[in-house]
Amino acid sequence: MKILVVDDTEAILLLISRFVEALGHSALVARNGQEAVELWRAEQPDLVLMDVMMPIMSGPEAAVQIKAEAGGTWVPIVFVTGVGEENALADAIERGADDYINKPVNFRVLEAKLKAFGRTLDLNRKVREQSQTLADYYERAEEEKRVVRHLMDQMVNSERLADPQFDYLLSPAESLSGDLIAAARTPGQALHILLADGIGHGLTAALNVLPLTQPFYSMTEKGYSITDILFEMNAKVRQVLPIGRFVCVSLISIDEVSGTIEIWNAGMPPIQILDANKQVLRVCSSSNLPLGIVPSHSLDLVPERIYYKEPGYIIAYSDGLVEARNPSQTEYGLASLLGVLAQTHAESMIQAVQEHLNDFLAGGQHHDDVSLVVARFGLDERELQAKLDIEAVKPKVDPSTIDFNLATECNWRYSLILSADELRYVNTIPFMMSFVKEIKSLSHVQSDIFLILTELFVNAVDHGLLMLDSKIKTAPDGMEVYLAQRAERLAHLQEGRIEIDLMGLQYKDAEILKIRVKDSGAGFDWRAIYNAHDAAAIPSSTFGRGVSLVRALSLKVQFIGLGNEVEVYYLPTQT
Amino acid sequence: MTPTVQIEGSVGRVILSGQFDFSAHREFRQVCESIIANPDIKEVLVDFQNVNYLDSSALGMLLLLKEKIAAASKTLALVNCRDTVKQVLEIACFGKIFTIR
Repeated sequence: MKILVVDDTEAILLLISRFVEALGHSALVARNGQEAVELWRAEQPDLVLMDVMMPIMSGPEAAVQIKAEAGGTWVPIVFVTGVGEENALADAIERGADDYINKPVNFRVLEAKLKAFGRTLDLNRKVREQSQTLADYYERAEEEKRVVRHLMDQMVNSERLADPQFDYLLSPAESLSGDLIAAARTPGQALHILLADGIGHGLTAALNVLPLTQPFYSMTEKGYSITDILFEMNAKVRQVLPIGRFVCVSLISIDEVSGTIEIWNAGMPPIQILDANKQVLRVCSSSNLPLGIVPSHSLDLVPERIYYKEPGYIIAYSDGLVEARNPSQTEYGLASLLGVLAQTHAESMIQAVQEHLNDFLAGGQHHDDVSLVVARFGLDERELQAKLDIEAVKPKVDPSTIDFNLATECNWRYSLILSADELRYVNTIPFMMSFVKEIKSLSHVQSDIFLILTELFVNAVDHGLLMLDSKIKTAPDGMEVYLAQRAERLAHLQEGRIEIDLMGLQYKDAEILKIRVKDSGAGFDWRAIYNAHDAAAIPSSTFGRGVSLVRALSLKVQFIGLGNEVEVYYLPTQT
Repeated sequence: MTPTVQIEGSVGRVILSGQFDFSAHREFRQVCESIIANPDIKEVLVDFQNVNYLDSSALGMLLLLKEKIAAASKTLALVNCRDTVKQVLEIACFGKIFTIR
């Protein structure tokens, strides 16, 4: 130890400092309080042995000053006191001094005391080092969290969550959330909502859910189905996360055009489907293992399908919400949630739940991340129209004045031929959409092209090759039967082929997109069903809607020959 | 929570109690490692009789255990699950990959 010895008597000063040195410490000497303070500032000794009565500045005064300047660093100050100095000494100890030793100095006692202080100083230093390490660690962790939070915000992209068709609540238990909500629309304007809950909470939970966002957004934008997206997400989670880590997921698709909801739930609490009066219509419980546990091909990725005619709500939430406990350990529960929703107007549901939950928790904290999604379905015709933006794509050119024979100069052409083997496995439309996205004149009308291509392709496969009868769809449960038959026939499809051509035709100063789809099927008597150019004659029932949609979007729809070939002309809106 | 181990012949029973969550991580791992290292044990039972709650990190620990047990060519079953525990296991559909009795 470096010890500062302070005494105005030269002999005592010499005696004590020599003794201290003899014990293996180094000694600094000062002859009064003033000198002691100055020397302390300059040399920062570990311990001070100080006389009480001294000229210029007394020991206690110096002690107070040193203690004040030392702040958080502990500098033990031991007084060496003569007889009759008890009052000053008591006062000094009260004001921060640590111990005293009587004059004449008993060196045996002094040695023992120095040893004791040495031990305490060591301990003190260790504690300080540890708390410093802890503080460093804490700061580093905070910095890491800041970065991850930023990353999450970027990847989750809260702007995209601003969609008039749903509202959400996301309240992390810590500064980072292991719950994730993401939403995006397919080119066909179906709304995909992802609600995920990573294991645990905080940083590692947040990291768990990150691998989901990229496949979710990119595949939704290309128009992949939720089955394909789930396959990819599961593969991604398995690839990235260690064993023992998994993500519970609900993936919801709302397709207002066809009036279909698809829900796939793995490990999340049951999703509630409510009718317009907010009464529970149906419950979609978890029927799958969370993502990341088993390989994608051993998961059953077929979603639950619901066809609706009336409007209603989809309520999805994480267990953190219903399991939130108030100070008396009561759980919030599903009944409370449904109760609040039933009493609240559609626009303020989220806010109402938030307030109700806060009241319930009575100032307490929820122990797990809380998330809630309230999505609407069954929008009225006007809302749907606005959503599909059909008004905006009404051709500015009068189709009857266009001479399509003039539009022959081909700027580019993209052709695709698929036979039975590919048709069973290739997701043709999303695949073609990645091409469409790259064509400058088309990139802003992807949604229209997706709809047209999907309709034409589905018609060619379903009716051309698989010879399915649309009338099946009108029966009760018809849609399920139809899809089951479709899957069955497609799996056994042995022959047949489909040709798809996309062409950019120059017409005056505009580029017109020509889409040709031909299948190897028998065709149909289109002349009897469709009067050319008479779009109004097409029924807008459960089937035949596809063709009328295509007609509404394009300049001209023309069936050719046997009816197994169709040409569609489409004029992209000017940007 | 301190898990206890009972060995009956070739069956090793890990008895858990109270809350089974991340705080049990270390003890659970130690107990499981000792059981896996024991060559006499062929079947491992995780006994939930005294467990009143388990969270998602507990599910993660079970997955890890399953992996290690499979690597050691032993079998694993989850037994004596109460309703609350059963519910959590059901939502996660763990019945598809675990033997639950």
